[in-house]
Amino acid sequence: MPKLDKRTADALVWALLLTAPFWLTHVGGYVELGSRVLIYALAAMALNFLLGFTGVLSFGHAAYFGLGAYGTALTIKYLCPSTPVGMLVGILTGTFAAALIGPMIVRLRGVYFAMCTIAFGQVFYFIAFRWSSVTGGDDGVSAWHRMPLDLGFTSIDLLGNNKAFYYFALAVFAVCAAAMAFLLGSPFGRTLLAIRENERRARFLGIPVDRHIWASWVISCLFVSVAGALYALLNDFVDPRAMRWDQSGNFVIMAVLGGMRSFWGPLIGAAIFIVLQDYVSSETQNWMSFIGLFFVLVVLFFPRGVLGIIQRKAKP
Amino acid sequence: MSLLRVDSISKNFGSLIAVNNVSMTVEPGELRAIIGPNGAGKTTFFNLISGFLRPTSGHITFDGADITDLLPARRVWRGIARTFQVTEVFPELSVHENLRIPVEVASGFRLRPWLSRVAAEAVGARVSELLDMGGLASKADRLVGELAHGDQRATEIIMALALKPQLLLLDEPTAGMGDQETYEITRLIRRLHQGSKLTIVLIEHDMRVVFHLADRIMVLDQGNFLAEGTPKEIAANKAVQSAYLGQAA
Amino acid sequence: MTQLLLFNVFNGLIIGAFYALMALGLSLILNLSGVINFAHGGFLAIGGYLAYTLVPYLGFWGALVVAPVLTAFIGILVERVLIRRLYGRDPLYGLLLTFGLAFMIEDGTRLIWGAQSLPFSIPDWLSSPLSNEYFFLTGYRVFMVLLVTLAVAALFVILNYTRLGIRIRAGTLDLETVSVLGVNVRVLRNLNFGLGIYLAGLAGVLAAGMLGLQPTVGDNLIMPSFIAIIVGGLGSLPGTLVGGLLIGVASGVTSVFFPSASEAVIYVMMAAVLIVRPRGLFGEEGRF
Repeated sequence: MPKLDKRTADALVWALLLTAPFWLTHVGGYVELGSRVLIYALAAMALNFLLGFTGVLSFGHAAYFGLGAYGTALTIKYLCPSTPVGMLVGILTGTFAAALIGPMIVRLRGVYFAMCTIAFGQVFYFIAFRWSSVTGGDDGVSAWHRMPLDLGFTSIDLLGNNKAFYYFALAVFAVCAAAMAFLLGSPFGRTLLAIRENERRARFLGIPVDRHIWASWVISCLFVSVAGALYALLNDFVDPRAMRWDQSGNFVIMAVLGGMRSFWGPLIGAAIFIVLQDYVSSETQNWMSFIGLFFVLVVLFFPRGVLGIIQRKAKP
Repeated sequence: MSLLRVDSISKNFGSLIAVNNVSMTVEPGELRAIIGPNGAGKTTFFNLISGFLRPTSGHITFDGADITDLLPARRVWRGIARTFQVTEVFPELSVHENLRIPVEVASGFRLRPWLSRVAAEAVGARVSELLDMGGLASKADRLVGELAHGDQRATEIIMALALKPQLLLLDEPTAGMGDQETYEITRLIRRLHQGSKLTIVLIEHDMRVVFHLADRIMVLDQGNFLAEGTPKEIAANKAVQSAYLGQAA
Repeated sequence: MTQLLLFNVFNGLIIGAFYALMALGLSLILNLSGVINFAHGGFLAIGGYLAYTLVPYLGFWGALVVAPVLTAFIGILVERVLIRRLYGRDPLYGLLLTFGLAFMIEDGTRLIWGAQSLPFSIPDWLSSPLSNEYFFLTGYRVFMVLLVTLAVAALFVILNYTRLGIRIRAGTLDLETVSVLGVNVRVLRNLNFGLGIYLAGLAGVLAAGMLGLQPTVGDNLIMPSFIAIIVGGLGSLPGTLVGGLLIGVASGVTSVFFPSASEAVIYVMMAAVLIVRPRGLFGEEGRF
């Protein structure tokens, strides 16, 4: 199989994404599924900024995803019925939390770092669960919905029109993806690659490793909270499950499944995972076992991910 | 004023004394070799100078400033660069990318999200210059992890050079190499030393390399300072001979 | 007031003992094999459910002895077939695999034993209070503390006085040297894993008696185990023990003064440790 050059691959991806609402139904899908894939793809790509490109294992990203979601939902419900404002608050909340927690864990490595991210993730889950006066506890935040987008000259109804929401989500996704690609291709991005490849060498080239890891962490959590904000809007609902440890695991498996070392890998992983999850949960009650089995199989047989396999086959 | 001054430095690991009260002064432009039998504490000594380890006692002064407590990255900013006994490079990146990173860091770009065209061109030019210096131009696009051992080591040395250091520390640059590769690396080091007035301190086991390159030699044995002098003086030194022969006996 | 405080401290000790038991098993596996066993809670559940199934045949005491052993066997099998392949790879994969296992075990227990809570019967004489003044001192609670103490003591004996234990400890410090000295590292890891799972299974049986049985019984206990290890210090078993007891007691004491914060306090402790002494109370430097 000939290796696609980067520009062609990018063009192909965007072409597919732009036309999705039109071909999705022909392959047995539906527009909302496409929106969901976009949201999870963004989350997985955000995680991969840290995991695949900086080499840092975070297993607690669902917390910031959830903070983005709750921030958005609570703002629209109680403070200001505006989609952009809600999203902004959600994003700021998630990013701020990450910026605060970062310094506590940035000196740690490997499994220890992973354990702490899981534990901190749990803190927020626990708050969402317990602070029921604000968050509605296990019942979540309901009785609100995404607000029409008021662009001054026109107003786009995001609620009634699935396609409109898809394109809105796509626009947000595009901005975020472009920003991430831009950062990764910059001198700063290259220092992150250096840290991934050989932390000791990076340190002895004069790169302040801990500081750069913190920066990568904050950037990663920022984009994951954007995904969380979109998630809340998609469902017109948030509950603590958005922040649970299994959600964090889902993001990681999507990145691994698609291919951690490539930019679009997590998108492919998210697409496969969401479609599979959608199918399995409609067929059987025991979808949890299947998802678990899926994790095990990916780890044992696809550790380099789908794109990893393709890249290896394309090498001379 | 000497460039590097190490004052009675010691490093203990519990009850194990790896380096015991060793002092060393290196003048700018010098090429100093550190030799000694296995277990002499040479790499530990390097680790102390480069900041990888904290000394148990003693001071290190570089370019007039006390760097004893500085973290490794900061010592790099001050002008100390090093290579490691086991080559430390970025294996899944190309040679070109391996070099671009230290060039960007040395140019002050490490936090930049974006480079202007002028800056990018300057970086590119410098990388080309470095590739030529190391004889790696033909391999620029290959992944470093796939190169021959000698080329990986050359890449590592050039990466250190890219930082525009005042002091270059080379830890056993010819370790694990055959004759041809040893020759190439030795020539590279000589070229670097003569071309850029660099101060170099290297640890070596291969005596041919040492006597070919060094201005002065320091000998360590079991963590202790044994002798220091010109290659001629060291070759004639009885204590040094017995330290080496004693090991073989 | 003292009565209330005592009650909560004692309660805290019991919970702490649980956390410690779980965390010790987790720590054993983590120290030797570098794998975070996310499925540890699942094995706890298996221990409890197996005991439930065995009680009609072996009685409470028989189940107490046999169920953890069976669980350990399952653990040994899982290690042999699945986890073994991941050693030497990025810790990411071990975490993902045990993650997936945790899902499968939770759903599996739901499939086999149903989703509702199952009652777990303990001998009558155990569940009665030992004194009227200290009503909270039921026989079962005292029994649990005694049993955990026994298990920890036995673990200590194994690790310090048996060949297996000494090899495990040596392996934790320097696996390469141990293998060069002729020890079969694969078997060692396997048995070590089994030992850790035995402790999880035992905790499961004890938990069943106190909390009842549901498929999610392990979920609540795994996070405090993580925190026990973080607080006590990575790489240190005594640290893990102390960590577990400490967070349990802290939780108990807090529930007297700030009942709603009693769960949160363990996270606060974790944050405090990470800020002040990242390697944990007894942690070794450079372990992370």
